[in-house]
Amino acid sequence: MPDGVPMSLIDEDEALIAAALKGSSYAWEKLVKRYETRLYNHGLRLTGNPTDAMDLMQEVFLGVYRNLHRFRGDAKFSSWIFRIAHNKSVDMSRRKRFMTVQSRSDEDEVDFLDTLPASSKFEPEMVLGQSQLNAKVLSMLAQIPLDQRLIVEYKVFQSLTFEEIAELQDLSVNTAKTRFYAALKKLKVISEEANVLPQN
Amino acid sequence: MSCPKTEHLLKEYFADDLSQLAKSEMEKHLHECVACNEELESLLLVQSNLHRWQDRQAPHWDRGVELFRREHRLTEDRSSVFNIWQWLPTSVSLAMLLLVIFNTSFEAGEQGVSISFGKSANAGANSMDQLAEFRRAQQEEFSEFMIRVENRQDQNNLLLMQAVFDQTQQTTAENLERIYAFFEEQRLQDLQDMRVGYQELVNNDYETIRSLEQLAQFVSFNDVAP
Repeated sequence: MPDGVPMSLIDEDEALIAAALKGSSYAWEKLVKRYETRLYNHGLRLTGNPTDAMDLMQEVFLGVYRNLHRFRGDAKFSSWIFRIAHNKSVDMSRRKRFMTVQSRSDEDEVDFLDTLPASSKFEPEMVLGQSQLNAKVLSMLAQIPLDQRLIVEYKVFQSLTFEEIAELQDLSVNTAKTRFYAALKKLKVISEEANVLPQN
Repeated sequence: MSCPKTEHLLKEYFADDLSQLAKSEMEKHLHECVACNEELESLLLVQSNLHRWQDRQAPHWDRGVELFRREHRLTEDRSSVFNIWQWLPTSVSLAMLLLVIFNTSFEAGEQGVSISFGKSANAGANSMDQLAEFRRAQQEEFSEFMIRVENRQDQNNLLLMQAVFDQTQQTTAENLERIYAFFEEQRLQDLQDMRVGYQELVNNDYETIRSLEQLAQFVSFNDVAP
C-alpha cells in the first residue's frame, strides 16, 4: 500500500474503476468527482487561468477515460492520473504559453489579474477575500519557468517524493532536488522583491 | 555571510529519505550555522506561503458523463449486434417467411423426410404416379383383406354349424332318452296298475266265490232244513 494513503481510498478508487470499466456512469462520475478539484487547482496553478485549467482538467479526464482499461493497479491511481496530467500539461504548454507574465527582472510591475485572458470568467469572489491569497501564489508561480513550477507543484501541492517526481518527469532524483531548491530560491527572491506575500 | 554547505544541505533538507544520522547532522549544522539557518527559514516561509493556497471548486461541467454514456451505449450496441439471441426471433421470422415464399413442403414417409420447394410439373406427375401406385396397392391390400375376411367368415360358419349340429345331436339323444324313460315309467306304472287291478279282480272274484259259497251253504241249509 502506498504511504500515507488509507487503504479504503485505494480500494474505493479500484472499485470505482472496475465499475466504470463495466459501464457504470455513476462510478465514472464519482471517480471524476474525487479528483476534479485536485486536478482543476493543479491546472490553475500551472496555467494561471481558469479557462486553461478547465481545458487541462478535461483533457486529463479524457486521457484517463481513454486509458482506464490500461490501469493495472500496480501504482496509485493518483500517481497514474498525475502522469497523464503531466503529459497533458507539457503538451498544452507547447501549444500555449502558460502564464504570460514576464519575469520581474523586466522591472515592470505586473498585476496578476492583468495576465488573465480576457475570456476568463472569474467570479467576484476570485478577486476578493481569501482568493487574494491564491492570486498572490499564482503571481509568484507565474514568474518561474514551467519545469520549476512543475517541481513545486508536485512537491509542495501534491506531496510527491523526489523519487516519484523524478519518475514522473523522467529526471534523476538529484536533478529533481536541485530544480526544487532552485525554484524555492527564486520564489524567495520574488517574494522578497515584490513583498507580495505577507510575512508571518 | 555565506556557507559553502548551504546549497547541498538545503537540497537534501527537503528530501524524503534522509537517514536519522543525516538528519541529526543537518540539525546540528543548522543550529550552528546562521547563514544556512536563515536560508532555510526563508525557504520554509516561501513553502508556507505557497501552502496558503485555497482549493477552488471546478466550474460545473458534465464530468464526461455524456461521453461515457454515449460511448458505452455504442459499445453495448456493438457487442449486442453479435449477440445471437437478440437476432433469434428475427431469424426465425425470416426463415418462416422464406418457407412461405418458396412454398416449401416437408414430407415424412417410409423413405424418410423430404423437403421440396415450389410446385413443379415433374413433381405433380410424380405425385400422380405415386397416387395411382398408392391406390393400386391399396386395392390389392383391400382384396387380400376381403379374401382373408371371407375365409375367416367361412371358417366361422363351419364352426358355427358344427357347434349347432353337435348341440342338436346332443339334444335329440337327450330327448329320446327322456321319451324312453317316460315310456318305461309309463310301462312300469301300467304294470303296477295292472297288478293292482288284477289283485282287486282276484279279491273281487274271491269275494264272489265266498258269496257263492255262502249262498250255496244257505241254499244247502235250506234244503236240509225244510
